[in-house]
Amino acid sequence: MIQFFGVSKRYPTGQVALDEVSFSIGKGDFCFLTGSSGAGKTTLLRLIFREETPSAGQIVVNGRNVAAIPRGKIPFLRRTIGVVFQDFRLIDRKTLFENVAFLPRILGADPARQRRLAYEALRRVGLAHRMSAFPRQLSGGEQQRVAIARALVNEPDILIADEPTGNLDPDLAREIVRLFLDIHRRGTTVLFATHDRELIRRVGHRVLVLARGRLEEDRRLPVGSDEESAIVVDGTE
Amino acid sequence: MSFLQALAYFFREACVGLVRSWRVSLLAVFTIGVSLFLAGGFLLTSRNLSRAITAWKDEARFVVYLSEKAGAEERSAIEKALSGAPWTRDVRFVSPQEGAARFRSAFPPLAELVDDARYGSLPPTYEARVRQLASSETEAYARWAAALAELPAVETLDDDRAWIEDVETLLAFARAVGSILTAVLLGAAVFTIAAVVRLTSFLYRDEIAIMRLVGATEFFIRGPFYCEGILQGLAGAALAWGALHGMHVALAPQFEGSLVLGVILRDFLTLREAAGLAAIGAAAGLGGALVSLGRERAASESP
Repeated sequence: MIQFFGVSKRYPTGQVALDEVSFSIGKGDFCFLTGSSGAGKTTLLRLIFREETPSAGQIVVNGRNVAAIPRGKIPFLRRTIGVVFQDFRLIDRKTLFENVAFLPRILGADPARQRRLAYEALRRVGLAHRMSAFPRQLSGGEQQRVAIARALVNEPDILIADEPTGNLDPDLAREIVRLFLDIHRRGTTVLFATHDRELIRRVGHRVLVLARGRLEEDRRLPVGSDEESAIVVDGTE
Repeated sequence: MSFLQALAYFFREACVGLVRSWRVSLLAVFTIGVSLFLAGGFLLTSRNLSRAITAWKDEARFVVYLSEKAGAEERSAIEKALSGAPWTRDVRFVSPQEGAARFRSAFPPLAELVDDARYGSLPPTYEARVRQLASSETEAYARWAAALAELPAVETLDDDRAWIEDVETLLAFARAVGSILTAVLLGAAVFTIAAVVRLTSFLYRDEIAIMRLVGATEFFIRGPFYCEGILQGLAGAALAWGALHGMHVALAPQFEGSLVLGVILRDFLTLREAAGLAAIGAAAGLGGALVSLGRERAASESP
């Protein structure tokens, strides 16, 4: 589903963000991407949805060489990938419904279908009752759930998250992780970037570790390696 | 999304953008309004003057003033020369008595002048109407007129075409100046609209980035900004049309009898001309948006 073949990324300033990174994430996998700040996590994610292009190597997403996709076709790639950011990136002047229904709308869904899809996505994150609220009226955890709903609304094959719990307190972070695990259980491939090693240890699954742009480690942790992670994975308290 | 749905979305978002930055939007509308007011004013003037010139050309008179010593034979030769020319019609002899009667009728306060023995009688004349000449005929016409002037029985010639040509030259010059001035002002309007659209796109830069990330096409992202530019251009055109119309309604009746202003203000812009102004306004607005978003795209793609 996501394959990196000797991918490097050098910026014009000479800074090396990624250096000869290779890995493969299969369909339906749940994978953490970790590393300290500046390790290259965000760059790696940005390469997947063609926000950036590699300086060397190849990236294959859903069987397509991402770097070779013509500029005009990039939106079509992005519609198959849901992206969630640390800072939520919601449109403040639009309601939750409008934020979430944006993608169905540009894909030509009629208003009734837009409403149904947005309702479904918001229901999955527990915010269906606040469809007409504005992002600023919500807490950080709620805003992140809206961002997840927006990423899910088109039922993407891949869900990418860049430090989605970075701005949240531990309880809210656990809630968000639970959502991602639930999404993964429904068959979506999830790549979850975080520098929170404790969170990774609790949840388990596969972990890619980046350090100074190089892939240092690619290993699989036992699912729910402690009691708390089991609670998270099971979705029960 | 169907094209009509997309247009409705663009329009709605453009209106939101215009309201959000209404002060600079007003400035853009005003700038383009001034440019189009000037363009419309020049169009009105030149079109009405052109019509008047065409009418004057159709009625252009060619008058031959005869000398006192001109005999019957010489008069006959002049009449033959006038009647035989391919560009003249309605050749007729005007006696001094008829000339005096015309003068009295045209200038009643000066009627006594023609009866004053100190000034003598008016000279007899031949009058003819000259049709519009093809460009290939102008040289032959000039030679013909010069030969006529050389005849001993001819005192002088009065050709309306001469001053009409002067007016035409003046009109062509005014048109050129007007076109240049309008182009400069339209350029300023495009620049202003580009700045306004750029400001709006700057206000929305986060939203634009989000739209790109979720897979919106450039057409969908830029559409509202193109629409915003077009709306500003159309509003400017409407402002210009309104100002021109108001001016025409206010001034035309007052200057109806005036030789110059009466002619210039005779007819207002036709629907087609008004549509042309609106199209220029919309094109200027779209041009401004294209310039602005071209820069925005280049900036967003730079590393």
